[in-house]
Amino acid sequence: MVKSILFGGKAGQGPNILTQLIGEALVKQGYYVFYSRDYQSLIRGGHNFNVISFSRFLINSNESKVDLIVALDEKTREIHKNELKNGGMIISGDGKDKDNMYFAGALYRVLGFDFKLLQEQLKKLRRFDENLKHAKEGFEKEARNIKINTCKLKNHKYFMNGSQGICGGAIKSGLDIYFAYPMTPATPLLFELAPKQEENNFLVLELESEIAVMNAALGASITGAKAMIGTSGGGFDLMTEALSMAGMAEIPIVCYLASRPGPSTGVATYSGQGDLQFARYSGHGEFNRVILAPGDAVECEELTSQAFYFSQKFKVPAIILSDKHLAESFYTSTLIPKITKSEKSTNLGRYNSYEHADSGEASEDAEIIKQGVERREKNKKEIEKEAEKFEMFKIHGNKNSRNVIVSYGSCKGAILDSIKDLDVKFIQVLYIEPFPVKIKSELENAKKLVLVENSATGMLGDVIREKTGVEIKDKILRYDGRAFTSDELKIEIKKKLK
Amino acid sequence: MKNINTKTLPTWCPGCFNFQILAGVKNFLNKQIKNERDRENYAIVTGIGCASKIFDYVNLNGLNGLHGRVVPTCLGIKIGNPNLKVLGFAGDGDAYSEGVEHLVHACRYNSDFKYIVHNNQVFALTVGQPTAVSELGFVDKTTPAGVKINPLNPIKLVLASGATFVARVLADVKQVEWVLEEAAKHRGFAFIEVVQPCIIFHPDSDYKKHVYDLQESGHDKTDWKKAIERALEFDYNKLDDKTRIPMGIFYQKQEETFEEKFPALTRLKRAGKGWRDIKR
Repeated sequence: MVKSILFGGKAGQGPNILTQLIGEALVKQGYYVFYSRDYQSLIRGGHNFNVISFSRFLINSNESKVDLIVALDEKTREIHKNELKNGGMIISGDGKDKDNMYFAGALYRVLGFDFKLLQEQLKKLRRFDENLKHAKEGFEKEARNIKINTCKLKNHKYFMNGSQGICGGAIKSGLDIYFAYPMTPATPLLFELAPKQEENNFLVLELESEIAVMNAALGASITGAKAMIGTSGGGFDLMTEALSMAGMAEIPIVCYLASRPGPSTGVATYSGQGDLQFARYSGHGEFNRVILAPGDAVECEELTSQAFYFSQKFKVPAIILSDKHLAESFYTSTLIPKITKSEKSTNLGRYNSYEHADSGEASEDAEIIKQGVERREKNKKEIEKEAEKFEMFKIHGNKNSRNVIVSYGSCKGAILDSIKDLDVKFIQVLYIEPFPVKIKSELENAKKLVLVENSATGMLGDVIREKTGVEIKDKILRYDGRAFTSDELKIEIKKKLK
Repeated sequence: MKNINTKTLPTWCPGCFNFQILAGVKNFLNKQIKNERDRENYAIVTGIGCASKIFDYVNLNGLNGLHGRVVPTCLGIKIGNPNLKVLGFAGDGDAYSEGVEHLVHACRYNSDFKYIVHNNQVFALTVGQPTAVSELGFVDKTTPAGVKINPLNPIKLVLASGATFVARVLADVKQVEWVLEEAAKHRGFAFIEVVQPCIIFHPDSDYKKHVYDLQESGHDKTDWKKAIERALEFDYNKLDDKTRIPMGIFYQKQEETFEEKFPALTRLKRAGKGWRDIKR
């Protein structure tokens, strides 16, 4: 049985610290916890909310309704009252402004947790005495209680978001320098990496523009450093000329592309998967790249290490595709991420953005042009061969079912949670380039074939058609900047399976 | 002595002033580079345009990169290995039109690389269009009514942006060699403009008759305000009888470099290593 808590308030009231605190408390009690964040592009005021869902069993998404609303302000009650389940509970300051730790105390009472645990948690925060006072007040004043199933303590290895997964993967892969220009939703990775520089001896640098970032990263990379950049779609647009140079000059670079919805500035702080084809076709000319699409925090860590592996081994750009929902949602896992080690492959030599001879000089000679193209084409074949050693796609759910759902990236969580008691096989694509053409037989054997994607056109469907010839006609698409919720998605899937 | 020549024959026009620059660069490098190890301590970065062809004629490691992006590429190489001596070459289109923002920030960063701008006041390799430093009235096929926008004064720009070494010389083998030697002694970002008339699209406008030597004139290169005054003497527009063009070092000041500001880079510098050598 899944329980959900919504934490709402103005930016600045501290709903995030509160959510993190309660999330960690639930993990300590042994629950699987997932939480997502919803915030606007402003700094103070507005309306932010986070939703925690927890269960005795693995959970990777939210439902559309909640059992509890924690209203840090009155607006929260108004905005979210229709999302409350029948018999649900609202915890508020009853018209008075309360500190966020007041609500932590109140929630501890409602959930029936030992206050001592909260006291321990507060020791890790600033202003201990003040926080404790507020927490005590909430704990004493609140008298209600909700029934939650107690559970056996799990051996949780992680309670982390996608950005923390990318960060861990990069550090474990031997990251030397991370270059970035701030842009949501890639910025959380900057927040993760920046404080860890000294301890792990790497460098985080913010330069004047995305163009400077990418060109500097490639400059660093030709000296042999393991370099990585991070941005969102608009910033990646600015980097694409240099991305193309990485393709021509054969320079390793790992690119973290965290998408936001819409073209242009789009919707800064919401989620969408509209950059799949952009990741594939960004940069002019024909050149090689690797594109990997993790679907949860553990996969973020694993695929980041694979991105470093491929970029170093084959001297190509490797793009890690993410979005706000993946980057900022917290996932619980009992798995230890599998890190793929990568050797530094690059020595300072003569690199050229022009077509060039082996010695590095620019050339317009027909034979040398042909050799250059064919060298890169050969490299492409080798990348494809190497990729087969990795898990390029995963099959979840009922592996014998002929009802097949196909998706990638951050949709994974809601799909897993929605098909738990359905006769469905879920194929999650992890490798976009090179593409696992082997899924063709899986798709052809399907009786029902449905694509689920956080975009308006279902781009993965286009990629699958291009790579396998299989056309997926049934699509469940969401393009309002919000991630799928499992209960609503379940209804949509059932409709398609009829 | 290590040969820094390549086998590639230059494709500059016969008589191009870029040959003067190339000779000056080679003279400088030949004094600095005695063996393979010396050669490996250098990196060359170029953009796109006539100036950047120099990459093909000097056998140094590096990157013939993108148009307008010489500066961030040099910075990246310094960050990747602060022990490398990095020379960046760009044209005026490459430096002042496309990517001029990088120049402003390079002055702020004060990373320890040398940036040489071949200024012929025209896009030469694309057959003669005006750049950001072409003078008022300059006419070409794409600008039949003549340039109507005032040219940028790069010396003024870099001084205002905080550059710690600012020089301008003529495209003359001796002057280029001299200024590179002076820049090499400077710890930090060095901005060097080489006035290099394009014999096809922007011929020698009698610059030689108008120039004077800053150092011979007694200019105090440590005085920023005086440097600005000298920079304003020539605005890159048409010359008249009174025009005097100062050449030499406008300004020089020793300040903390980019590499000295980051402990991780200082450690690499001290150990004589790049990130390549860090085993994890």
